[in-house]
Formats: sequence, C-alpha cells, structure tokens
Amino acid sequence: MRSVVFIAASMFLLAVLGPLLAPHDPTAINIPERLSPLNDDYWLGTDALGRDILSRLLYGARWSLGLAFAISLIGLWVGTLIGLVAALGGKLADWALMRTTDSFLAFPDLVAAVVIAGLLGAGTWSLILALSVTGWVRYARVARGIGLSLQTRGCVIQARLAGLPPGSIARWHYLPWLVPSLTVVWTSMFARAILGISALGFLGFGVQPPMPEWGTMLLDARIHLRSTPLQMVWPGLAVVVSVLAINLAGDALRDAIADDGNQGTRPHREKSRFSLPMPSPRHIRRSR
Amino acid sequence: MIKDLMGFVLRAVVVLSGTALATFVLLWHAPGDPAQAIAMARFDALLTEDVIDQVREEAGLNAGFWTAFRAWVGPLLTLDFGRSAVTGRAVWPDLLVAIRYMLPLALAGLAIGLAISLSLAIVAVKRPGGWLDRFAIAIASLGTAIPAYWLGLLLILLFAVHLAWLPAMGARTPEHVILPALTLGLGVAASLTRIIRSGILEARGQSFLPAIRRRGVSSRGIDRDHIAPHAAIPVVTVFGLELAFLLEGVVMVEVIFGRPGLGTFLVTAIHARDFPQVQAVIVLTALMFVTVNLLIDVVYRVIDPRIGARDA
Repeated sequence: MRSVVFIAASMFLLAVLGPLLAPHDPTAINIPERLSPLNDDYWLGTDALGRDILSRLLYGARWSLGLAFAISLIGLWVGTLIGLVAALGGKLADWALMRTTDSFLAFPDLVAAVVIAGLLGAGTWSLILALSVTGWVRYARVARGIGLSLQTRGCVIQARLAGLPPGSIARWHYLPWLVPSLTVVWTSMFARAILGISALGFLGFGVQPPMPEWGTMLLDARIHLRSTPLQMVWPGLAVVVSVLAINLAGDALRDAIADDGNQGTRPHREKSRFSLPMPSPRHIRRSR
Repeated sequence: MIKDLMGFVLRAVVVLSGTALATFVLLWHAPGDPAQAIAMARFDALLTEDVIDQVREEAGLNAGFWTAFRAWVGPLLTLDFGRSAVTGRAVWPDLLVAIRYMLPLALAGLAIGLAISLSLAIVAVKRPGGWLDRFAIAIASLGTAIPAYWLGLLLILLFAVHLAWLPAMGARTPEHVILPALTLGLGVAASLTRIIRSGILEARGQSFLPAIRRRGVSSRGIDRDHIAPHAAIPVVTVFGLELAFLLEGVVMVEVIFGRPGLGTFLVTAIHARDFPQVQAVIVLTALMFVTVNLLIDVVYRVIDPRIGARDA
C-alpha cells in the first residue's frame, strides 16, 4: 500500500517538476542525433527528429496525467450531480437519467470517444470533451445507487420534514456518504482516462504534435519498431506504471473503506439540532 | 417473464433511438464543412466552389435537420445504411466485409481470454492467498494496466521481429490472426481473471455446501453443480462490459496490426469524414450491444432462477 502510494505520488511529482528536471527542450529538433541509442547526453535516446525522449516523457506526463486528472474531475462533478438529481428528483427524472446512462453504458467508451474527438477535429479540447462525455456515467450510477439507499434514513426524513430544500439535503446528508465510494470510482476513472488519452493519441485524434504526449510518442515510435525498438518501450512503460499505481492505490482504498464500514464509522457528525421522535418512513410522503 | 422481456425490449428501443439521434446531432453539428471534406476525398484537389456545391447537393447536406434525419432513419429501419459519401458505394456490403474480418479476431480473442482467465483463476483458488493466487492477481492487475496498443507492439517486437515466427501486419492468412487475437485475449483475460476468482471464492462460501458435502456428494459433483453455476453469475453480469472492452480492443488491435476490420473501417471513415459510414458503424455497434445485453438479461434468469422469482 505504502509503496504504491509512493509510486503514484512520485509520478505526480515528476509530472509537476518535469520541466525543471528535463535535461533538454522536448520539442528541440536535432537531426544529426536522430534515433540515437541511450547515451550520456540523451539518457533514453532520441526520436526520429532527434528530440530527447526523457524530456518528452517528463513533459508528456503533464499532458497524460494532468489531462486525465482534469477529465476524471469533470466526470466526478457532472456524474455526481446527475446521480444526485436522479436520486432526489422523483420518478420521472430518475427514469430519464437512468435510461440515458443505459445508453452510454450500452456503447464502448473508447469508440464513442474516438468518434467524438475525430469529428470535432483533433485537438486538446475535443479530446477533453470526448472523454468527459463518456466519463461521467459510472459516477452517476454509484451516486444514484447510494442516494436511493439513503432516502429512508432518519436524518434525511427529518431534514425533509424540517423543509430543507433538496439541494441542501443533497449537500449535507447525501454528499458525505458518497465520498468514499466516489473516491474509489474516481481512481479507476482516472486510470481509464490515462489509457483513453494515450489511446486517442495513438490513433492520432489526441494531443497534437509537437506537444509530447505518451500515446502520440508511441505512434511516432511505431514506425521505427525495427530499428530502435527501445523508443517504443518508454512511453508505454510510463502509461503502465502510472495506471498500475493508481489502480492499486484505488484497490487499497477500497479495502480500507470496507474495513472501516464494518466498524460502522460515520463519515461526519450530524449537524441537526432537532430530536424529533422518528415517524416510520411509510407514513411520509416524499415532500417536494 | 414475458412482462420482463417486454420491458427489456422497450428499453432496447429507447436506447437505440437515443443513440441514433445523438449520433445524428453530433455529425450534423461537427465543425468544418463536410461537403468540402467529401469533395477533397473524392477529387483530391483543384476544388472550385461549384464542385463543393454540387457535392453538397448530392449528399443531401442542403436539407434541414429533421428532413435529413428522416431521410436517414427511414431506410435504416430496413438495415439500409445508404451510400458512402466519398466512394458512392453502398455502405452495407463494405461493412459486411469489415465485419467478416473482425469476427474471427473478436471470437479468437474472447476464446483466448476465457481460456487463460479460467485456468488462471482455477489454479489461483486452489490455495487462496498462496503464491500462485498472488501471482494470478499480480498478472491480472498488470494486465489491466497494459494498453492493448503497447502490448500489441511488444508482441510484434518479440514474435515478428526477433523470433520471426509470425507475420505482423495484414490479414492474408489465418496465421495473421494469431498475434492480434493474443493481444486482445490477454487484455480480456486480465479483467476476467479477478471476477472468476472472486466468483469461485464466493460460491465456496455458500452456507449449504457443508451439508451437501456431509451427505456424501463428491467434491467434483459440488464443483460442477454448485460452484460453477454460482461463479458464472458475476461473469455473465460483466459480459456486457467485457464486450465493450473487446470492441475497444478490436479497434486498437486492428489499427496496430493493419487488419481491414470494423475498427479500421471506423477510423478511416472518421478521417475521411464519410458520415454515412460512421453512422453505420455506430448504429451497428449500438444494435450489437443492445442485443447482447438483452441476451444477458435472459441468460441471467436462466442460470439464476432466484432473480425471476424475486420479482414475481
């Protein structure tokens, strides 16, 4: 657990500090040194245009990890909002929103992302849009599922009786309970976003050259598979290590939450000052 | 059961029409002038405004949104996907050829994935927590983190470049399917191993098993009649997701290995902005998924009788 978090954290540190550590300009072309093997000047060699692969990897981390971070957060925000609306918004809203998530789940994410990114024209913004459009669904499902199970809780019923608007109920009585599960979903979506970005980059629909991005670097390296196979190894390795670290951290988090849940810890202290005798849920009409 | 089935079909229809509408909206509002893109693809260069206008007229791009939508959806109901905007050929025969290349790859990948994950999971649960178990979990974790395109390149490097055992690119001979199917299968295996493993472990924990065992049922009989069906339930549940994974993998793998299947078809069509072809692939994919999910819902009820009973 500790080592996994350490790896994940150091990947991020590398992404943030990349520009300081990179020995060369990632876009500086140096044709005489093209496709050079590992040496003292270029630690991981150079690509077909003589650009330093190590520097490109370090700068690329900002694209691959940074964009994935942003995309997974967009998904988290949108998905939670939609899930909560479905849980709190009544039967019709629930039905419509859940059929929408059905439609999204009934379609391979990556294929949808390829179509969207491809048709909007390759570029960073269409990449973000393409992966966000498909990235909120799982959050919404989880948020709605937990939301529905919270509906009959005492605090929620009391809050309704006290006339708290649905937005505040969602904020104070639903959100704290969603945090652990959503964090676990977030780690897996983060990992998926890294894979998605590099996949789109590899297909030529992602971050555009000369920006270094791991998937695009793989695409460049593919042509030189026979002459300089190592060039292709590095960006792939970077993807695998980051995805693995994030996934394992997510697994550890899930196990920790499962243990915690068994002890019955509550995510936050109830702020309600009311102590009404609790009516049984059957007698309460959903008030809205 | 009949009522459930009606519900599923209704849901499938809603999902399909939603997908069709979303696709059309997306294509309609895609930036750039499709007529110009099509004219470029058809005539290469030397474009005049007249040519572009003529193409726009031909491709029906002058009509309003709803007119165009109706003109597309109407024939679609009879599985007529129209004509390619670029080549002018009917979409369906070309699509069929692409599917014919995709199917062996997808099926072989699925078979390899099932074979590997089943054997790995069965070996792993012999002694839960043992080194084989931990090894299987480690392999599965690593497998889910390795993107298909990198794995494919690594396999090409090993088997086609260094060992020269197998061909890397193209789809001429049956041998050409081995490396792509292996790439796909390893990815499938990675995600299935964990599910099968935990399925078996959970099935073993059923409370009635000691009673059956004491009644003298052989351990083989228990495995066959009580463990296997129970462990199959979560596998069937994730099968829809697995299929999505398979199709995503097919797109990447076909592009890496230069196979002219559905994925290559889609990517080429997007690059050429050939809207009828893109639409056809999307609708077909959605149709495939809806059908499979429908089947899963039915199979689910067959292998787990508790589900139907609970609702009734």
